[in-house]
Amino acid sequence: MKNQANPWLTSNLWVLGLGMLPAILLIGLLLYFTAWAFAFSFTDLALVGRKSVEWSWVGLENFERLFTRRGFLESLWTTVIFVFFSAIVGQSVLGFLLAAALRGSRSTLRSVVEVCIMLGWLLPDIVAAFLWSATTAQTGLINQLIITPLGLPPVNFINDYALPVVTIANIWKGTAWSYLLFTAALDSVSREVVEAAKVDGATPLQRIWLVQLPIIRPHIATNMLFITIWTFTYFPLIFAMTGGGPGRQTETLAVFLYNQSFSRGNLGFGSAISVAMLLIVGVLSLFYLRLLREPK
Amino acid sequence: MSDVSLRGVRKSYGALEVVHGVDLDIRSGEFVVFVGPSGCGKSTLLRMIAGLEPISGGEVSIGGRVVNDVPSPQRGIAMVFQSYALYPHMSVYENMAFGLKLAKTPKAEVDQRVREAARILQIEPYLDRMPKALSGGQRQRVAIGRAIVRDPKVFLFDEPLSNLDAALRAQTRVEIAKLHDTLDATMIYVTHDQVEAMTLADRIVVLNSGRIEQVGTPLELYREPVNTFVAGFIASQRMNFIDVTPTPDGVMLPGKILLPIQHAGLASARTLGVRPEHLELASDGAADLSGTLAVIEQFGEYALAYVEMPSGETITLKLDGAPELHLHETIHIKVPPEAIHLFDEAGRALR
Repeated sequence: MKNQANPWLTSNLWVLGLGMLPAILLIGLLLYFTAWAFAFSFTDLALVGRKSVEWSWVGLENFERLFTRRGFLESLWTTVIFVFFSAIVGQSVLGFLLAAALRGSRSTLRSVVEVCIMLGWLLPDIVAAFLWSATTAQTGLINQLIITPLGLPPVNFINDYALPVVTIANIWKGTAWSYLLFTAALDSVSREVVEAAKVDGATPLQRIWLVQLPIIRPHIATNMLFITIWTFTYFPLIFAMTGGGPGRQTETLAVFLYNQSFSRGNLGFGSAISVAMLLIVGVLSLFYLRLLREPK
Repeated sequence: MSDVSLRGVRKSYGALEVVHGVDLDIRSGEFVVFVGPSGCGKSTLLRMIAGLEPISGGEVSIGGRVVNDVPSPQRGIAMVFQSYALYPHMSVYENMAFGLKLAKTPKAEVDQRVREAARILQIEPYLDRMPKALSGGQRQRVAIGRAIVRDPKVFLFDEPLSNLDAALRAQTRVEIAKLHDTLDATMIYVTHDQVEAMTLADRIVVLNSGRIEQVGTPLELYREPVNTFVAGFIASQRMNFIDVTPTPDGVMLPGKILLPIQHAGLASARTLGVRPEHLELASDGAADLSGTLAVIEQFGEYALAYVEMPSGETITLKLDGAPELHLHETIHIKVPPEAIHLFDEAGRALR
């Protein structure tokens, strides 16, 4: 294509540069922060004390600590479980089932369900965390309404089953996104294709499994990509509910990163954790992007 | 091969009734075309036969069995959709084999039937391609192939040619006619295109606002339309309608010229219908109608002349060859009494 730019503009590089300034600033800022984290992952920079000023280069020591000290690998495992059960299994599957079940129905049931799952999404993380803590605590609603009336001793869910409770809370919080995305995806499947499958003798389940799901496969991959990245780095709900505890049971990488950087003040080590997280999420993204590609 | 019969079939969405009690018998092996303007209920009727739309009232039977509550796959029908509705994630072969595989047909038989259908439709070279790598015409063949492999008793076509360009449409039309001859199956075909209806049908069902206006062979509909709607809808050039006043000896045309006609129902004639191809040019003295030539379209083999009457109506003439007529010249027209149709006030044909 021919260059269609205004000749006055192209001959005035200063004007051009001025116009690009906001973009250059923004991109520069992004690069600066990434480079900062990357650079300080090779130092022993601390938040307070002597090493906050007189830090020194320590080479790959921080990265070695990721694998030699307790913490990182355990947190990675916790994160994998959290992402797998709350995002991939929970939000995605539940979101799809809801979207498929409510598709085409115009009943009040659909409106009610939609409002309910949207409420979870719209509620601020801290409020949601407080609600879930209060509901699942020893004196909380579940114990008062169900466990105690059954004559059983009260259970401190948030303490005894911390990871499952946090996982369920995140499913409740995030299903709306998957529901909306799958609703839009299913709407893009032509009605006539589904009817053709019906005439061909496909049962409702076969129509979903053999026709609709394969057609929306790129949407599924996109959804997986988004919610995996989000959940992998998700912080506020877990931190506000448990702070990573009890012990380290719910210390996902994001919480681990926070605790190391700001509670313990090891900014250098924290930077190394964030670089590691970046790499892991990057590899996962590549995997999903391959899924997005159309089959030959 | 199977006959299809509709008994008082109705369809309503809530309080709104869109098909008002249709009775129709389709004989085994017949090619029936439902034709009508958009919104006349023809697709709804087809979808009720297919089992894609619940039937609000009446009975649909296929092969003597009432199928109102029989699910689509067990009705012995196959359907070709307007958008082709191919499964985009399956190859041509898989598209055609899908229904058979679901029915747990042995693999060898699936293969044999798919290849046989592909041979009939000449799509063998494309069996391994994905639908999006095919042209519109090829996709249409795959959609028809998917119907053929199921070996249905009744084929249902829902405006299958409307997404194709004009040349391909004419070609595919001929192929569907051949296919009907080869397969010897009952076919029901929905279209809004009266050319498709005329050329393909053994019998045409003209629908309007959820009611059958007339059922008959293409020539019956052409020669003896029961009302002005059918008369205006069938044939490639719309019939001319002229307001007339009946007299004891014939009808009075707008130019105060008497057209002598002997007809039993003459007294109630209000509209005279005459097809463009039946009008003739005449000399000044012998003219029944005269007007100014507003537009002339030359097609080489014939020409369409649009003549504006003093009363404001436009009359279309179809003239053989390439007549030498000039714009704004006065045209004198002869109306052959044997070719006219008379309609009463309600638009019903007078017999």
